[in-house]
Amino acid sequence: MDAKDLKVVNKPAIKMDALGLACGEPAFTDDMDFTGLLYAKLLWSPHAHARIKKIDVSAALKVPGVKAVLTYKDLPRVPHTTAGQGYPEPSPYDTYTLDNKVRYVGDRVAAVAAETAEAAKEAVSRIKVDYEVLPAVLDTFEAMKDGAPVIHDEEDSKNIPDAKHNIAAKFDFEVRNGEWFKEADHVFEHSWTMPYLQHCAIEPHISIAYFDNTGRLVLRTSTQVPFHVRRIVAQALKIPVKNIRVIKPRIGGGFGSKQEVLEDIVAALALKTRRPVKLEYTRKETFISSRTRHPATCRMKAGVKKDGTITDAEMEITLNTGAYGSHALTVMMCSGSHTIPMYRVKNNIRFIGRSVYTNMPVAGAYRGYGATQGFFAWECLMDMMAAKIGMDPVEFRKMNYIKLGEGSPVFKAMGEGREGVEQVITSCGLFEAIKKGADEIKWAEKKAKYASQSGPIRRGVGVACMMQGSGIPEVDMASATMKMNEDGSFNLLVGAADLGTGSDTILAQIAAEVLGIKTDDIIVTSSDTDITPFDVGAYASSTTFISGGAVKKTAEKVRDMIIEVAAKILDQKKEDLRLEGGKVVAKDGSSCSLPEVANTSLYYYNQHQITASASHFAHTSPPPFQANFAEVEVDTETGKVKILDYVSCVDCGTAINPVLAEGQNDGAVLNGISHTLSEEMEFSSNGTPLNASFRRYKIFSAADTPPLRTFIIPTWEPAGPFGAKSVSEIGINGPLPAVANAIYNATGVWLFDAPFTPDRVLAAIKKQAPSPAAGSVKLLH
Amino acid sequence: MKNIKYYAFPSSVKEALAVLLNKKYKAMALAGGTLVAKTLPDTVETYLDLKNLPIKSIRLHGGNLVIGAGATFDDIDRSKLCRGWAGGVISAAAARCSSQLIRNMATIGGNIARPHSFNIFPVVLLGLDAKVRLQAKKGARLVDFQDLYTSGLGLRPGLDSLITEIVVPARTKKWKCDFIKLAKTASSWESYITLFFSAEKKGRSATQARVVVGALSPRPFRAPEAEKAMLSGAGGQAAARALAAELEAARAGEYRSSAASSLFKRFIEGQI
Amino acid sequence: MKNGMIRTNKGFFEITVTVNGEKKELSVKNGEFLLDALRRHGWKGTKKGCDTGDCGSCAVLLNGKPVLGCLAPAVTAHGGVLTTIEGLGTVHAPHPLQRAFVEAGAVQCGFCIPGMILSSKHLLDRTPDPTDAEIRKALDGNLCRCTGYVKQVEAVKNAAKRLKAKC
Repeated sequence: MDAKDLKVVNKPAIKMDALGLACGEPAFTDDMDFTGLLYAKLLWSPHAHARIKKIDVSAALKVPGVKAVLTYKDLPRVPHTTAGQGYPEPSPYDTYTLDNKVRYVGDRVAAVAAETAEAAKEAVSRIKVDYEVLPAVLDTFEAMKDGAPVIHDEEDSKNIPDAKHNIAAKFDFEVRNGEWFKEADHVFEHSWTMPYLQHCAIEPHISIAYFDNTGRLVLRTSTQVPFHVRRIVAQALKIPVKNIRVIKPRIGGGFGSKQEVLEDIVAALALKTRRPVKLEYTRKETFISSRTRHPATCRMKAGVKKDGTITDAEMEITLNTGAYGSHALTVMMCSGSHTIPMYRVKNNIRFIGRSVYTNMPVAGAYRGYGATQGFFAWECLMDMMAAKIGMDPVEFRKMNYIKLGEGSPVFKAMGEGREGVEQVITSCGLFEAIKKGADEIKWAEKKAKYASQSGPIRRGVGVACMMQGSGIPEVDMASATMKMNEDGSFNLLVGAADLGTGSDTILAQIAAEVLGIKTDDIIVTSSDTDITPFDVGAYASSTTFISGGAVKKTAEKVRDMIIEVAAKILDQKKEDLRLEGGKVVAKDGSSCSLPEVANTSLYYYNQHQITASASHFAHTSPPPFQANFAEVEVDTETGKVKILDYVSCVDCGTAINPVLAEGQNDGAVLNGISHTLSEEMEFSSNGTPLNASFRRYKIFSAADTPPLRTFIIPTWEPAGPFGAKSVSEIGINGPLPAVANAIYNATGVWLFDAPFTPDRVLAAIKKQAPSPAAGSVKLLH
Repeated sequence: MKNIKYYAFPSSVKEALAVLLNKKYKAMALAGGTLVAKTLPDTVETYLDLKNLPIKSIRLHGGNLVIGAGATFDDIDRSKLCRGWAGGVISAAAARCSSQLIRNMATIGGNIARPHSFNIFPVVLLGLDAKVRLQAKKGARLVDFQDLYTSGLGLRPGLDSLITEIVVPARTKKWKCDFIKLAKTASSWESYITLFFSAEKKGRSATQARVVVGALSPRPFRAPEAEKAMLSGAGGQAAARALAAELEAARAGEYRSSAASSLFKRFIEGQI
Repeated sequence: MKNGMIRTNKGFFEITVTVNGEKKELSVKNGEFLLDALRRHGWKGTKKGCDTGDCGSCAVLLNGKPVLGCLAPAVTAHGGVLTTIEGLGTVHAPHPLQRAFVEAGAVQCGFCIPGMILSSKHLLDRTPDPTDAEIRKALDGNLCRCTGYVKQVEAVKNAAKRLKAKC
């Protein structure tokens, strides 16, 4: 099969929920009113590290309207992880719904439910807590030292490899083919750092817990992982899974932060009060007490020969997982497993990974998932090597990137939290992506033009290439159910969680392609644990590849059932029938309509509902590829970096819906650009966040955004549905290295610490070319 | 906000002042409300909304540019008069206020009523020798902008008096000016520093110079040594050094001092 | 009581306001902001993203101009004319802007979209043929984390063309 045979897939179908959202139809978690709703508020720790000696809630309970105040004394003590991952989760079990110890400023202390938000707030302020303040550690390298404060000193936590040294996860791996760096003509070693970054989904974290008419707990919640929410809430509160229903309404963005199961506390308040309870994080709470990207220090050392052969590569990544180890192991492993295989390394490869507890906000899943941290280092190092051997960075990459049919020892050695799978590249459009990007940015022309510049304003171009995965092989599983209606329409029930990505639409397109119908003949219901079959959820760039595979199989089963009935109606052999244009068509040209098939099955012949379910998992995780190009202008006297043009060429296999795929990539790239030039959570010396607001933690607005251009480079991935791979995450990994490389091209100065704010850039320029007089910086070139 | 008992929306300055001065109401005057509405003190019982007052016009009067205190950032951004004044620096500054939604609501009067590091207009108004008309119990007063935040004023705009208009003197109309907001991104609310430079030239030498620095402290300040250097025709390099020294003295730190003085040098070299 | 003044009664102001073309008497709480009042009265299209005036999800048109519902006290809408996203168009009769956003693929999670469409409405009301820069400036208060703004700028341009053709 080929993309040109496709009728519905690879076409820009209208996103099915878009019109309702554009018209403000009630669709999100908070858009529904509940009679008797209580409002929840949490008391957050003001200390980075403390033990609760005494907690007195009597004054809080006296506030009019207060219905419940919960502390650790009121809840079962169950070590668990908030990471919404497949069971058993590879993250340590180090979290308690409420604990007698707090481990960062913003940790949960107590929870209140009251008739009004004001009463809940008032009650929170009246909880009296006597803390024994403990020494805190905010830095990962300090935290690993002997004698550092031990953040998880409790005895009942599980799967912490070295609690005494605050190590939440570790993984080492080496491929040895001779002496290290023996063949290298040049060896480079540097460290790159990334700060605390927040997802900034515009809808804050919000959940409403209520009871259905049989007394079962219903969680209407803004989540990427409804089935994991059900399982982990059941685990944490010791209630049966069968007593919980999780409904995922429309979600106002997630980007990984809503892969985190924080619903246990609102569920506990509902169970205590037997009333509906809403917990809505403020923006500040979302910044501090939901989840963040893992801050990283990534040291890389690599060797290169004069002819461009990369001889050895070593990556040592140290992630700050904050107070709890959510995704600590897997993000750390992905920082190597999604990056090191990008280029052939002839001899030796080593990966050393640590995720370290500190008394800081909790890191978790964030779009890019470690690859963002790893590629910043790897792709800047690539440019350093190219510069040293006098090779064009584009040619150097073309020479070394992983080609079709090639594998990497890293694929097998490093999975997500365990051993990976052996795989070779079965589709790769990187050559075309690099070519297209270089043409669009006018690489050669601009390189030449910018080689000789004078004056304080300098321009430059930079490139970065990336890969990601498509789901977690042999871990992620998705399933779907379809049923046929009288008019030839279908219900498609999927566990996949559309969080604004458009997955409902692209899954319908896949089913419609199989059934020869239009996308809008499919009615999609996504992720309600009572109604839809299981899916691990929206993460790991898995939905198109894994859930799409499940939908395709389901639709194929349904197609076979339709043909079975049509064969009777038309008196034809099954193998002579095909579905096309809303009909079943025979080789001789006779046909019957889908409504006729449906009515026949429902009312006349061998009466039955045409319906099927199927599940899908994969043995490989085919990487999508990207080439990104940035053109920048650097004011070498103010340090201000302006992106003049940004081109992103993405090989996602077949784009099931090119418009939505472009949108996914535009958004990922802009998020990456915003990381590059602006974003950074700031903290006081005692770990208190200082800029937890959109006013002070600046994400890019329309006016800030440079020209962004996404180009889809079509390939055909044999393992994917209709040739598709993933697209959602990869784009976020490019801007940091592409812009860093462009700044180097413009100024001859390397930047190692994100974000590249004007003060940092100017400091780096001055460090390289110290100048006595203000305003006259000499640049090396 | 929770203790508000009255909502007043008078349509004349006189009525507004009457509410403000009547102790019974415990009133506070608000225009756009973007800075204050969310954090209104609990002692305030009357929300005095200035939206209906006839103080929004932007006009010429006796050769001076008169901007009504109720003019929004958006009004000023789009005003032909403002765009044509001093190279359009007032409009340019208005456009650099964080976002269009704020620009639609926030007024120039509100922006100058209380000192705040990241207020936009004070830097520009100080540089343009603007005056502010206040309506108080004893009648109208015209004060120099630079005196607005001094204790000698004896008035607290919004609590016992109202800012009604801003007067930009006629002589500034042709000044060569620049407003710079050095920030992480174009629409950042915060900035490292805001700068206002202006010059008036006869031939090759400057006959007038203004260098104003904002965002370092709630009140913007002039940099007299830098201005002197400009007037003496000492050249961009020397003037930049003078500004850098003044910024260091104001504890602006190395980055701000260096970047600002480079920008100042560029301004001078662009002008002369 | 003077003209030009209303007072609370048991913690509520009774205000008169035209919402989406209909004159309403609304009870708004003391200290309640417009965003919360609108949502409480059933206009759920107005969203709360930050509650500090920085994201624009709560934008509504007050007397034709987009304002931040989270920074405007509800009582200040007294006597005014409000348009929320529900008043612009419906799924059965969408406004050209709503249609353009949908067709351009500008709606991903959709949480910022009501505010963004209302900002776009105001832009096109006074600048029927905007440049890219004018669109970006008009939308700079409406934060979106999903799209990169590319398709939204395209949507506004398409809507402008369609609206002009209608005139």
